[in-house]
Parts: sequence; C-alpha cells; structure tokens
Amino acid sequence: MATRLQYENNCEIGVFSKLTNAYCLVAIGGSENFYSTFEAELADVIPVVKTSIAGTRIIGRMCAGNKKGLLLPHNTTDQELQHLRNSLPDSVVVQRIEERLSALGNCISCNDHVALTHPDLDKETEELIADVLGVEVFRQTVAGNILVGSYCTFSNIGGLVHPHTSIEDLDELSTLLQVPLVAGTVNRGSDVIAAGLTVNDWTAFCGSDTTATELSVIESVFKLREAKPSALVDEMRKSLIDTYV
Amino acid sequence: MPRKPKKHSHSLRHRLVTFSPFARSKAMATRNRGATKVIEKPKLQNKDLATSSFNGFKNNGKDKTQQSGSSASSDDEEFEGDVQADFVFFDPKPSDFHGVKVLLQTYLDNLQWDLSGFVDLILGQPTVGTVVKIENDEDDAVYSVVSALNLGRYKDSKCVLELKDYLLKVCRDMDVKGKLKSLVGEHVQDVGLLVSQRVVNLPPQLLPPLYNGLFDEVEWATEDEPTEELQSSFRFKFYLIISKIYKHKSADQNGGTVKNGEETLIYNRPEDEIFFMLSSWSFSFPSHAQQVTANELKNYRPMGLVMVVEASKISSFRKQLHSLIDE
Repeated sequence: MATRLQYENNCEIGVFSKLTNAYCLVAIGGSENFYSTFEAELADVIPVVKTSIAGTRIIGRMCAGNKKGLLLPHNTTDQELQHLRNSLPDSVVVQRIEERLSALGNCISCNDHVALTHPDLDKETEELIADVLGVEVFRQTVAGNILVGSYCTFSNIGGLVHPHTSIEDLDELSTLLQVPLVAGTVNRGSDVIAAGLTVNDWTAFCGSDTTATELSVIESVFKLREAKPSALVDEMRKSLIDTYV
Repeated sequence: MPRKPKKHSHSLRHRLVTFSPFARSKAMATRNRGATKVIEKPKLQNKDLATSSFNGFKNNGKDKTQQSGSSASSDDEEFEGDVQADFVFFDPKPSDFHGVKVLLQTYLDNLQWDLSGFVDLILGQPTVGTVVKIENDEDDAVYSVVSALNLGRYKDSKCVLELKDYLLKVCRDMDVKGKLKSLVGEHVQDVGLLVSQRVVNLPPQLLPPLYNGLFDEVEWATEDEPTEELQSSFRFKFYLIISKIYKHKSADQNGGTVKNGEETLIYNRPEDEIFFMLSSWSFSFPSHAQQVTANELKNYRPMGLVMVVEASKISSFRKQLHSLIDE
C-alpha cells in the first residue's frame, strides 16, 4: 500500500528518508508525525532509524543502499557512522566511501540485484558498490539526465522513471534491471521521481501532493496491492522468466 | 542565504538570485550590463493597458549605462554582477503550482497546513492575481506571486479554516484579538487576504506595477465577473496582510525605543512599512521557522506581522509606494 505524507509542508519525502527491504532511515528535525508514519507501517518488520548525514537532513539524497549494505559519503561524521552501524542489522554492511560526488543518493539508484550509476563515478566507487551492495553495476543515463539516482526509483518488483524517457530507453533499462518499468511523475507532475517517492518491495511512501492517478500507477508498477514482506518475494524471483518488458 | 537590511542604493543595481541553471547562464553571459525591463503582457483584451509604454520602461536607462561602467568594477568582487532580465506578468494558471508553492512555504511560519489547497485557491483565480516570470525562461520559474482572496468566498475550504485558527492562536494582543475575531467571523465577506511573496532580490521597480495591476484587477472584477455574487466578493472593505519583520531584541524592555540609533523594526518588504502606517490595527508574534541570520541582524528577532488596511486607504498606498520606489 502506498502512503502519502509530508515533511514540514514539503512533499519531497524521498529527500528526507531512505527505505530499503532491511531498514528505513529518517531525517531528524521533522515533526514526530513524519517518523511515526514510517513506524506505523514498518515497525514490526524492519528498524526505522533517525539520523543525519554530514549534519544535514537530506539523508535520502546523500546515501545509497539496499538490504545488503549502505554507502555513505565521505563527509559523514564518525558519530553518524557509528550510530548507523549500531542501529542497523548486522547483515547490513555500512561503508563510508571516498567519492568526489558526495550526493550518493542522486548518483546511484539500486535494488537488491542491480544498480544504475552516474556515468562520472570513480572506478573504485563502482567496485565498492558492487562489493558492499552485492549488485551488478551499470553506468547509465535516464532521459538524458546523468543523475540517475534522482530521476528513477526501482525495487525488486518494478520501477518508475522520468516521464520523458523514450520507449527504447525504457526497454533497454528494463532489460538491464530485469523489472517492469513505467515512465511517470510523482507529486503532481514533478519529474524528480526519487525525491518524491521512496519504495521497497512491499510498501511505498510518496509526497502528499501526489494525485490519485500517480498513486495508482505507483501501486500498479510496484505491485503494492498484493504486497508481502520481501522474504517471500525473493523466493518467487528465482522461478520467474528472464525478461520483462 | 544571508539577509541584509535593504539599503536604498541609488544606482539601483539588482542582482537576481540565480538559483536556476538558466538564470545562472544568463548571469555569466551578460556581466556588466545593467538595464532591467518590465514588460506587461496584455492580460485583458477589453482593457486598454499601456503595453507600449512598458516596452520602453528601462530603469533609469541613461543613468544606468553611465554608472554601469563604474559599478562594473565594484561588482566584480560580488559573484555575478548585473543581470539583464525581462520580467513578464502572467495570470496565475494551474501549471504554476510548484513555483507558487515554493514561494509560500513559510507563509504561516512553520505550521503544517493545507498549503497545496491554498495554492490551488490562488491558481483558481486567474482574474485577480499575478505571477511574475522571466521571458523565455526554460525553467518557467516563478519569481513572485500576488493575489487577493476573499476569505468569505473560501471560508469552507480546509486551508482557510486552518489559516483563521492559526491567526487566532498566535494573536497574543487581547484588544486586537476581539477585532480579529469579528473580522474573520461576521465580517469575513468583506475581507480580502492580500498574498504577496517574492524571491528576495526581486528588483523593487516591479512593485508599483505589480500592486497597481492587482488593485486594478480587483476593481475590474467587481464589474467583469460573470455572477453578481462573484462581483460583490471583490468589493473588499478590508485587506488582511500577513508578513514578516525583524524586531530589535531590546525594543520591548526599553518601552519601544532603542539606543545606538538602531531601528526598532526592520521590514522585509518595503511596502510593508507603508501598509503598517496605513493600517487600522495590527499585531506581531514571534516566528519559529528556521532562518539564516546575517551578522547585522543578530540583535533582531524574526517576527510575523499581521495588519489590516481599509480598502479606502489603497489609493494612498499606491501613491506612497510609487514615491518610495522612485526615490
């Protein structure tokens, strides 16, 4: 089920939160309402951790992660790093990386199996991503935008990309990612998908300006209406056919 | 971004806040040029707007070209120098949603309220209200918005109810509270909420045409609106204005006066000073929203200010604004 919410009158909730199948990060400083909406949905299944990154609240755009790991930019403080290591499950590898492009959330978009990255990312970073997150890495652009982390969001089930993505690009990305993709918008026509939406395999959160049409597209491509926690979905994946379009 | 108290600079150099890639590239390409033009697009076919005179409206064209030579060198130490910009006034339309919403983020301080609904009310009123953009801007960014909303017409919408509750809640002044209650209670049909927000560095030369345009539109609406009900909804008797000021921290203790010759009150927007002088009553309240405070403002506390101005005083306001900006 998709939930609509706001962070201090701001509908860009993908900026202030990061949701994966194993944990959820939420920015400090917002009202308790923001935090408790996540808690209400996720408390029994995965930990919801309040944090800042590099002293900022824009944590969703600063870090990149999936159920296997979390990558943090070089300007993350030691206390923040320690706090995250303590709060996240042991199965999650928390790693701070030395990368010039420090807004990792804008540069990397990933699920538990594949990652799309900014074309200018360092080679070492690419290897670290493959290592820490346990994914196959592809350097890509989305609708001509190099900030792939901002303009597309995908889970293990489906994905939403920038509205101006061409059909050929959509096919190509879908083949790379092995999930069905749809070009659409969030937050009443905003094309910065990842800023307005954060999603995992069984639930999604989007800004409260998102229209009913956008919400139904999200619920259908991410298959949220009949959703279950990811352990079951993982089992199903092995028996699925090779290519989705 | 650091805020400085407005200085009346006679050279009238105005640097745009370049927060969009288009504006930045314009700034890079047009260093050292100083004229800003105001173009008013014909908004009502049947009204005779002097668009031709606005096309030639160059801000002190001659003075600026003479001064731009000397001012260019002093501008080099600032980050971008003068920018050539053609501002255009448009009627609000639904596609302006995001731009207008950004401008209204801190309208009611840090309250969580139905801001989207409020923006929809403004955009749903194309006959009264103006949105300022730059000509041929690929980002289509909104630089300023003004509108006048009849509180009685929208009294049942969630955002207006929340706005009224908020105003009644923050009003600590007991004598004023009674007046406020009656204004938003029985007299609500006569009250126009004057909404006016803009980017920090918008050239003040735009203010007289912007406000003139708004008050003219209100007048035309009293004749042009399709139904009698709508026409009378624009016959405002009062304008309610919510804005922000800075009050000197020691102002309350010293009985309203401040030593060192510092100002008691600093107005964020020049027209607020005129409105305040013309207002029938007003109250201020401490502001809680996070703000970046410049060094010069460290002795000042950010406050919200609510004022009520009688509609009959508006012509005086227009004259005073004109003379204030033109000096």
